[in-house]
Amino acid sequence: MTPPFLEILEINKRFGDINALKNVSLNVSIGEVICIIGPSGCGKSTLLRTINWLTPPDSGKIILQGDIIGSVTGKLTIKQNRLLNNFRARIGMVFQQFNVWPHLNVLENVIKAQVVVGKKNSEEAKIKAIKMLNEVGLKDKFDEWPDNLSGGQKQRLAIARSLAMDPILMLLDEPTSALDPELIGEVLTVLRNLVKEGMTMLIVTHELGFASNFADKIVFMDAGEIIETGAPREILKFPKTDRLKHFLDKLSITSF
Amino acid sequence: MLEYQIFLDYWPMILLGFWLTLKIVLCAIALGIPLGLFLALGRRSNYLAVSFLATSFIELFRNTPFIIQVFLFYYVLPFYGLRLSAEYVGILALAAFGGAYFAEIIRAGIDAIPKGQLESARAIGMTDWQSMKNIILPQTVKIVIPPLTNQTLTLIKESAILSTITVHELTMTGLMVQGETFRPFEVFIMVALLYWALNETIATIMRRIEKSYNRNRKQSNKDKYTIDITKSSGLFR
Ligand SMILES: Nc1ncnc2c1ncn2[C@@H]1O[C@H](COP(=O)(O)OP(=O)(O)OP(=O)(O)O)[C@@H](O)[C@H]1O
Ligand SMILES: [Mg+2]
Repeated sequence: MTPPFLEILEINKRFGDINALKNVSLNVSIGEVICIIGPSGCGKSTLLRTINWLTPPDSGKIILQGDIIGSVTGKLTIKQNRLLNNFRARIGMVFQQFNVWPHLNVLENVIKAQVVVGKKNSEEAKIKAIKMLNEVGLKDKFDEWPDNLSGGQKQRLAIARSLAMDPILMLLDEPTSALDPELIGEVLTVLRNLVKEGMTMLIVTHELGFASNFADKIVFMDAGEIIETGAPREILKFPKTDRLKHFLDKLSITSF
Repeated sequence: MLEYQIFLDYWPMILLGFWLTLKIVLCAIALGIPLGLFLALGRRSNYLAVSFLATSFIELFRNTPFIIQVFLFYYVLPFYGLRLSAEYVGILALAAFGGAYFAEIIRAGIDAIPKGQLESARAIGMTDWQSMKNIILPQTVKIVIPPLTNQTLTLIKESAILSTITVHELTMTGLMVQGETFRPFEVFIMVALLYWALNETIATIMRRIEKSYNRNRKQSNKDKYTIDITKSSGLFR
């Protein structure tokens, strides 16, 4: 049996008294789109952030294509650090608050990491950046400063910046939560295209409509644990646990 | 009554003192700002020894009188076989003193950049240093220019203290001329005017630089990040 593409193995993470992740395990196969849902503070962001070691877990392993990301024990050696940066370059991350770089214009935002991390020459990086910006529909904004973009455009820029690194896995933490309702659609369209292209993705989202249409699996978390995992239909129409039922009731999913 | 002859007779000498002040201050800034950056980054280091050393240096120089620091440099360094002229001692003392303050300004500037900026840089695979150099520090520059300018003006004024270790800078020259002429009013007016002119020039240049920086960047978030240097900065944070 081939090992799964991404293996999240018995991850634990505490913040002081808060048990943010309790023995969380999850397998992701290549091309799979997994949406993670759950109430605020249940550990969704923390889970995504342990995958690329932005928040190092207290224990557990993250294994991507058979290689361990980060270390199993505490401090990273220089070699592990290099390996980690290598992984991070190929794991795209998209944040709720966009985190585009305001001192660089749109094109430079997408070029920078390709040159600094990917060691590409600037001509190559520029060609790639133009291609990515076209894909997310920002082709007339190359010289614009991020501060002059709308939220939806900033998020699409952030996605293009990640895609330019040729990621094999994308982590998206509530990519549309900070957006005005009328801007959510343009970002979801970009994500939909990524799904069609077969990108492996973990998406924390409250957009149940999107999840039910495009996710292969939905993971429901509560209080640092994975409570239920299943196909969107199973999870959304036939929840097994009271906790999930309760959560879905509160979200009032009449819209789909 | 003002005796105008004093101005005419002594301005070349006073100007010579001014010239030395200018040279010393420029050297001290050229050393002090890199030192400040180094200390600011050192203070944030994950290596406890590095951050302890940087913090100790900063706190020592921020919490003792500059004149005492100057005396220590001047009288103690020779004990360790480091025999430098008073001018060089002055440059070192000013650079160390300035560096400690520059460090706190730069650190506050770095802290003012939203955490997500560093995270997005790290998440895309940049090392800590690559993130600093490419993402954090370029954004920090803009917000630290005004406080760094202020500190530079303070440094220029503090350089007067170097007169106590026989550096023939502007204040020392003034004191000597006043000893010869017994006309303190004329002499110190000249001295004060030169300090004022120097500070005003530097302030103007820095304002220009800040403006052109903002224009080049065309950023609209000029006041978005603010610095809080009052934030606790003791050894035992
Ligand atoms: N850096 C931190 N320091 C202390 N506590 C933290 C930190 N990060 C997260 N926590 C805590 O860990 C728990 C899980 O947080 P997390 O951000 O993963 O939740 P979430 O599911 O993403 O919530 P939300 O839907 O509000 O984004 C919360 O109780 C949170 O307060
Ligand atoms: Mg979250």
